[in-house]
Amino acid sequence: MKVRLHPPDIFLEGPKKRKTAVFLCFILGITASSMTTAPAAPGPEVRTEQEQARVHAAQRYPFIAEVEREDPVLRKLRLHRMGLDSGDITHEYFLLSSPVVNADTDTYQPVRFMHSKHASALNDNCAACHHYRPADKEQSETVACRACHKEQSHPQAPSRVGLKSAYHQKCMGCHKDMNQGPTGCQGCHRKNPPDHTNLVSLPEDPQPREVTQACLGCHEDEARDFVTTAHWLWKGPASYTVNRQHQEIGKANITLNNF
Amino acid sequence: MNPNSNESRCTSCHAGYGWKDDSFDFSRLENIDCLVCHDTTGKYTKTPTGAGMPDPDIDLAQIARNVGPTSRETCGSCHFSGGGGDHVKHANMGSELNDPCRTCDIHMGGYDFTCTECHRTTNHKIPGKSSSVAATEGTTQCIDCHTKEPHYGNDLLDHHLNEHCDHIACNTCHSPLYARSHPTKIWWDWSEAGDTDRPVQKGPHGQPLYHWKKGVFGWTQNAKPSYAWSNGYTQRTLAGDTVDLEGKIVDPDASQKEKKQGDYVHLASPVGDKTDPDSKITPFKVMRGVQPADPETSLLLLPHLFPYGQEDTTAYWKNLDWQKAFEEGMQASGLPYSGDYVWVRTDMYWRMEHEVLPKEGALKCTQCHSALQGEKTCDRCHRPARAADFTDLMQGGERMQSAEDSGWDPKHLEKKSDFLNFKDLGYEGDPIIHGGRFKRLPLSFE
Repeated sequence: MKVRLHPPDIFLEGPKKRKTAVFLCFILGITASSMTTAPAAPGPEVRTEQEQARVHAAQRYPFIAEVEREDPVLRKLRLHRMGLDSGDITHEYFLLSSPVVNADTDTYQPVRFMHSKHASALNDNCAACHHYRPADKEQSETVACRACHKEQSHPQAPSRVGLKSAYHQKCMGCHKDMNQGPTGCQGCHRKNPPDHTNLVSLPEDPQPREVTQACLGCHEDEARDFVTTAHWLWKGPASYTVNRQHQEIGKANITLNNF
Repeated sequence: MNPNSNESRCTSCHAGYGWKDDSFDFSRLENIDCLVCHDTTGKYTKTPTGAGMPDPDIDLAQIARNVGPTSRETCGSCHFSGGGGDHVKHANMGSELNDPCRTCDIHMGGYDFTCTECHRTTNHKIPGKSSSVAATEGTTQCIDCHTKEPHYGNDLLDHHLNEHCDHIACNTCHSPLYARSHPTKIWWDWSEAGDTDRPVQKGPHGQPLYHWKKGVFGWTQNAKPSYAWSNGYTQRTLAGDTVDLEGKIVDPDASQKEKKQGDYVHLASPVGDKTDPDSKITPFKVMRGVQPADPETSLLLLPHLFPYGQEDTTAYWKNLDWQKAFEEGMQASGLPYSGDYVWVRTDMYWRMEHEVLPKEGALKCTQCHSALQGEKTCDRCHRPARAADFTDLMQGGERMQSAEDSGWDPKHLEKKSDFLNFKDLGYEGDPIIHGGRFKRLPLSFE
C-alpha cells in the first residue's frame, strides 16, 4: 500500500507576494501557478516534480530554424535590463531526456537539471545558457535547448551543434570554466547497465556462490574493490568519532548500541 | 548489543554468504552476495536467520539475469528495517521510502532520487556517516548540492534564512518531525525480557509493546526531535570501554516510569557547543533503554542471544539464562565478565537526515521564535511597509485539521512556538531578544 502523508496546515504555503519565492534551492518543482495561491492539501492526484518533468520531457518542440545572433555581453545586459530573472522560470526542474540524445547510445540515464538552482548560481544570467533568441519576435526570449538543437547535422541547420553535443559542451564547459559542478559522466548521469539476460551463464538451479562466480567472470575488479569496503567488512575508518579517528570500527568489532 | 556471537541472525543483512562465526573468510570473493544490492526484480530475499544465505525458494537465475543498479528497495532491504523491524532504528527512514509521496521526502518522493544519487558511490565505497555505526567512507551533506546559501530568492526572508545556515542544520527546519508515517522505537528495556507467558500486546499502530526475547518497547510517532549542538563528530561508548555506572543502575522490578528517571550512560552523543562556529543546532531522535552491565568491570555486557544450533545451551533466546548468555557473549568478544550483572539506563543520539519535507513544510519563524508571535510586520528591525508577508510566517502551529484528517496525531504540536528550547541550547532566551551566539544585535529590545 502506498503511504500518503498529508502535511498539516502548518506545512501549507501561504500566499506569496513575490511573483515567485524561490525559497529553497533545488527543492522546487511546484509550478508557477501554484506559487501564487495556496495549494490544496496534496493528495494522490498531485503529480510529483518527477512526474511533471517526465511529461515535460516528452513534449515535442517545433524546430526553430532562424535565430538572432547577438553579442553575448550585450545580450546579458539586455536581459538584465528587461528584468528577466529566476522569478520568470516556469520549469524549475527538468529531466534532460530526449530521443535525439539517445539515438545512438543509451548508456546513461537522463540528467536531472535543476533549472532554478543554476539560474541562481549564475546570478540570474539567463544569457549564459540561452545564448541566442529565435528570430521570430513572437517567440519567447528564451527557449528550450531542444527547440534549436536537434540531431547532429539537421538538414535545415547543418552547421548547428546537435542536442547531445550542445548539452555536453554547455554543461561541462561551464563547469570547467567556473571550476564548479561535475565534469565526468557519472557526476550528472546514473549508469544504464546493459541488459544481463543473455550475459549471465548459470547452471540449472544455481547455488548462491555459483551466481557470484558468474558475476566474477566479468566483475572481479569490482569484487576486489568491494571486499575492502565497510558494507563487506562491517568496520571502517571512524573518522568522525572523537578519540578514535584512526581506528577501524564497526559492528564487526566493537560498535554497540541499545537495540 | 552487538553481532558478536549472534552472527547468524545479524548477518542476514551482510552483503555476503555464510558469516556465521569468526571463521568467515572475508577474502573469498565467492562469499560476496552481489544480488542483495543489485536485484531489480524485488524478489530477492535472505533467510532472516541464515547467516546471509538467500531464501532457498527463490529463483536465483532469474534474479541474476535481471541485475541492475541499486535502488531504494535494495538499500532499504537492510537500512529500513535495522533493529528488528520496519522503522525501528532510524527516526525517519522506513519502508514508505520504497514508494514515497513528495511529502514523505522531497528528494525520494518528489524527484524519485535513489539512495546513491546523494550517497555517490566510488568503487563500492559509499559515503555517508551515521550516529550509530562509527565506520564511514566519506560524508554526504546537504551542501554537496545546495551550497552554503541554499535559500536563493532575493528577498528579506531568504537573507534571514541564509543567515541561519551558519548555526542550524538544514534538517532542523526542513525535517521538523520524525516518524511521520510509521512509529519508531525510542525505548527498549531488556531487563524485563524472558516472560514467555506475558502477552505481546500491540500499540495503536500495531507495533509490539513486549516480546519475551527482548523486553519492553516504547514507540513514538510524529515526534518533535531533540536538538543539540553538533559539529558532525560523535562521542561513542564502544565495547570494552569502561563506563561510569553511578546513578544509572535500575531495579528491574521497578515500574517503567521509575526506570526512565535518572542519569543515562551515553552510547553515542553529538560533539559540539554553542561557542564552536562549526557546531550547528541539529535534530536527533534519542533512543533510550535499559541494558546489562558488569558492576565489577564497569563494562557494558554483550549477551549471546541467537543460538549457534540445536545443541546450544547458552543462547538467551533458547535458554533464557542471562548468566550463561553474558559468559558466552563476552568470551566471544574477547572481553572479561566478572559473573555479576546489573541493568543500566543508556541513551543514544540518532541524527535525523532523511524525510526532508517540501519547502512549504519547513518550520515557520514563530515555531521557534516566540518573540515574533503576535507581530504583524517586520517593523521591529526594518523600515515599515516592507513587502514581506508576515502573516505567512505567523501560521505556525495554529491549525491542525488536515493533519488529523490524514491520520496524524499532531495535537502535541498545536500552538507551539518552542520547537527549539533556546535555554536548553545555551541561550538566555530567544536570540531575537537576547542576541545570537557571536553577534550582539545592534539594538536592545525590551
